[in-house]
Amino acid sequence: MAECIFAFGQCFEGKLHPASLEILTPLREVADRLNKRLILIGLADDKEKFLAIPELKKLLADEVWYIIHPNLKHLPDDLCERVLVYLASEHKPYGIFFPATKKGLSVAPRVAGSLQAGLCAHVNAFEVKNGNLFLLRPTYGENIIAKLTSQRLPIMATLALNAFPIREAERAPLIKEVKLPEGFDWSTKLTIKNFKPAKKSPSRLSVAKVVVAGGMGLKSKENFQMLFELAKILNAEVGGTRPAVHAGWVEAERMIGVSGVSVRPKQYLAFGISGAIQHTVGMEGSEFIVSINLDKEAPMMRMAHVGFACDAPSFLKALLQKLKAKD
Amino acid sequence: MGRILVCIKGVPKPGTVKVDKETHTLCRKSAELILNPPDRPALEVAQRLKDQANFEVIAISMGPPNMVPVLQKVYALGVDDIYLISDRAFAGSDTLATSRILAKALSLLSPFDLVVMGARSIDGETGQVPPETASLLNLPSITYVKEIRYVDGKFIAIREDDFGEEEMEFYPPAVVSIVPEIDYVRPPSLKRLLSIKEVTPKILTNAELNLDEASIGLSGSPTQVADVFEKTFVSRGEIFEGEPDELAEKLIEVLKEKGFLA
Repeated sequence: MAECIFAFGQCFEGKLHPASLEILTPLREVADRLNKRLILIGLADDKEKFLAIPELKKLLADEVWYIIHPNLKHLPDDLCERVLVYLASEHKPYGIFFPATKKGLSVAPRVAGSLQAGLCAHVNAFEVKNGNLFLLRPTYGENIIAKLTSQRLPIMATLALNAFPIREAERAPLIKEVKLPEGFDWSTKLTIKNFKPAKKSPSRLSVAKVVVAGGMGLKSKENFQMLFELAKILNAEVGGTRPAVHAGWVEAERMIGVSGVSVRPKQYLAFGISGAIQHTVGMEGSEFIVSINLDKEAPMMRMAHVGFACDAPSFLKALLQKLKAKD
Repeated sequence: MGRILVCIKGVPKPGTVKVDKETHTLCRKSAELILNPPDRPALEVAQRLKDQANFEVIAISMGPPNMVPVLQKVYALGVDDIYLISDRAFAGSDTLATSRILAKALSLLSPFDLVVMGARSIDGETGQVPPETASLLNLPSITYVKEIRYVDGKFIAIREDDFGEEEMEFYPPAVVSIVPEIDYVRPPSLKRLLSIKEVTPKILTNAELNLDEASIGLSGSPTQVADVFEKTFVSRGEIFEGEPDELAEKLIEVLKEKGFLA
């Protein structure tokens, strides 16, 4: 009873989404502290393709259970729910966790609804205390971290993207196929008529080594545009805060924060960003943080490794001038 | 005539929200509410289906009484009816309890062809309610929809997925959630705007929904906040002050020192 923890392994075309590997890192620790077995559940349409996934033998789970059926090719939400709910009813896991990918965010709530379980979103840290598991996430636009518990099992959560590094295991997990019973309903109400693979690979911003980001302290869209110039010179990607996106200064794909992109660059240069928690959780893993802001007490200034108490647009103008002069 | 139900949410106007110190949930009563911005595309999508195939569109919101002005403004967008689901017993609901309440209210308004919601709210930001509500209603959910049309008794939706774009087909009834930004949203009707004060939403309380109190509000919410704490940052590094010019020079120096600049 409640001896295992499920992690959703999101597969597509013989590949495991990296976010499914990321979530195993904190879950490994949780499983060890609570003495549970960590099991990656993979749903796929092709057995050979699944078993050929290179990361399979090095991932941090104790076991990998895979379920194969042609209808699982595009992971239709209703069928995924049915399969996971079946497994949960059979094995009564202590917890079920998903990456906060679009698929994870679409399937997890269906499973939670079916199981009448609580579901926490965008969890980016765990705490184990007295044999209880706490889930941490930023919340409500204030600078607040909420520590959540669930009143009943299974404990469920979607885990924030890019919040955890991928780690490899010393030894390979036990990999086994799970066959569902004879009369299992494999139907789905969803028919895929067409699929167009994404033209661009996952956001370059999320894997950038250098990020230059801007917030409301830049005061205007014209000023914000200077970041793109800076990015070219520094070979960086440009990011923005939610208010900057809302103001139309930068596209939504470049929003860094809770429901945007998470970054872990070597350098993070923040121009005119106060550091609201919904933003900082998306970049606090950055190795070297520089902040330019008029307010010395702003959270981003205190978080930064180096701060410059200055008007962001003027600083940016001066910086660009000097960098261009050097060429 | 087919029926579309659009579930919308009122969120605190940024800067006006207060957190209840005991329960750590939002004090929605005290905040000034605006329409959750990601719900605007949901309303637009419903109107387009109405234009295309003559659906009746009903806007529904679960919230406190100060949600009424928001619903009135939504009426000006051309919906056929507005409903407020409100009861003190609903306060403090997590997404499961909320989904139970919505599922019940939606079932009272059945039969319907489609439930449309925004992908997420800007306060809770979980995005969980559309799929969770669909699951409780035993309906398919289609998330991150960019566009949707009605053809020969079926819906065809283009949705965003982690690996690309899917064109998906399904029969009504179903629940869809719409991406937070679409190409355009139509302005409200001037004629309706002039009369919104006379329009009142129909109210559904728990007397009509008849949900067990143990399944709603704080008591119906398996997720509870055990604690909240402010994220404080101990000052990590040096803060330089001075003129933009000299500070920019200093940054270049620092970046060179660290090997980030040649």
